[in-house]
Amino acid sequence: MAADVPETVTAALADRQVEGQVCLEAGAGVGNTTAGLLAAGAKRVYAVTNDADHAATVRERVGDGSADRLVVVEADLRATPLATDSVDLVTAHGLCNVLPPADLDAVAAELTRVAKSDGRLVVDDYAVPPADAAVTRLFALENAAARVVDGRPALAFYPPAVLAAVFADHGWAIERKATLLDPVPWTEAHLNAHADVVREYAATLPDSLGEPLAAMAEDLVAAIGSERAGTMYSLAFRLGDV
Amino acid sequence: METRALGDTGQESTVLTFGSIALNWLEQEGANQMVELVLDHGVNHFDVAPTYGDAELKLGPKLRQYREDIFLGCKTQEREYEGAARKIDRSLDRLGIDTIDLYQIHGLEYEEELDTITADGGALDAIREAKAAGKIDHIGLTSHGDPDLILDAIDRIDDLETVMFPLNPVVAGKDDSEYDYEAVLERCESEGIGTLGIKAFAKGSWPSTDELAEADRPYANWYEPVDTPEAIRERFDFAAAQGLDTVVSPGDPKLVKMVLDAASRFEGMDEARQRSLIEEVRHDDSPVPEQLHH
Repeated sequence: MAADVPETVTAALADRQVEGQVCLEAGAGVGNTTAGLLAAGAKRVYAVTNDADHAATVRERVGDGSADRLVVVEADLRATPLATDSVDLVTAHGLCNVLPPADLDAVAAELTRVAKSDGRLVVDDYAVPPADAAVTRLFALENAAARVVDGRPALAFYPPAVLAAVFADHGWAIERKATLLDPVPWTEAHLNAHADVVREYAATLPDSLGEPLAAMAEDLVAAIGSERAGTMYSLAFRLGDV
Repeated sequence: METRALGDTGQESTVLTFGSIALNWLEQEGANQMVELVLDHGVNHFDVAPTYGDAELKLGPKLRQYREDIFLGCKTQEREYEGAARKIDRSLDRLGIDTIDLYQIHGLEYEEELDTITADGGALDAIREAKAAGKIDHIGLTSHGDPDLILDAIDRIDDLETVMFPLNPVVAGKDDSEYDYEAVLERCESEGIGTLGIKAFAKGSWPSTDELAEADRPYANWYEPVDTPEAIRERFDFAAAQGLDTVVSPGDPKLVKMVLDAASRFEGMDEARQRSLIEEVRHDDSPVPEQLHH
């Protein structure tokens, strides 16, 4: 069975040249954008992730029938093994919200390095969720747990103007902005995935600290159930002056 | 209520079609009131079938009273000449009218059925004969089967004027060809074939009969429908925004008033919101359940 390509991905790629292009999905996750790029006729897709489970998932889920065009790369996005000036189209779909500012800049620099001089870039992400949204409490808990364990937040929601400015610093000129989702449907599956992140952090802490954190995550997910809140946007860039 | 050209039939149908199966669960007086309510909202396209209990009989009195205001679709599950010819006459008799505006081959599921229908002595011969005799005006098809089979039927039935098929956010989010009703919609648009959407209000399957006995289901639909004004409105808006000529109301009479209100207020739906509805249900049966991102 072919992997279903999310409508968000299809919409973000709809007005981009994908056919025949060498592409890089930065932060491949479960391979949603990789599947979309392959379906749209990409010549080759480098699916880059630093997560071995995700790499295996992408191979299994998307690799069938496209193995000759798919290269799953397990690497840190701040230092990939890809050659300079080698990629036509870079995508970062739902990536930046898991990159705190310092990492974001390093990743932007690396993506700029591998992109060809006339390369294109698509960055899709969530706008800052509304302060009164219930999911905001779950994301705050996730960040609190991450700060205790790693000394840095797990999630960083950037307004589109901020991401545009970060990439502009690396020479990317914005070509278009679009709204992918309005509202964003935070389903039970999404909330559970975020609660799992809290549980993973909690598991590394002493029980006296970890157990209440995990319990709070569970309570929040149960209380929220699901919620529609905020928007997801897409920014398309080209390298160099417009 | 907004109207749209039903393909090249010449009919301008309201964006909502009344699924008259709803009358089956009402007494005659209630059925009459329901038809009045539907007409009050401006709906001009009704759909019925002989297999919907006694819906044809209950529609009859008000249909005859307002015959000029109603474009009526009816259908047959017969696949051969004799059965189809008999069913056309029976429906005309039960409805008490002289002409059915749109007569549809109902519930096409298998390639062999299509062979039978289109062969000499098939149902299509009877339907074409009835058309020549003035008993019906237009020929249509309904199916919630494989989209490829529907496309095949479009290729093989030259005088096909409408197709009725499922379209909702669950179906729209799946890429496999077995769910690609969007391809049917595109083909119909390019060939001037009218499109009627069904299952717009389906939420999912009913729980197993072990969990919920059939007799304990709160709605008559064979699927579990969405049933709040908000959910019904967004499902209607979604279906109508896909480009269908008209969307058929669900079969349970308790839902009809909410659907009429939704259709009366229809003003389109922007694409970010359409995607939001698709994304919301995409994860229901995703191969990878735990995902942080959309």
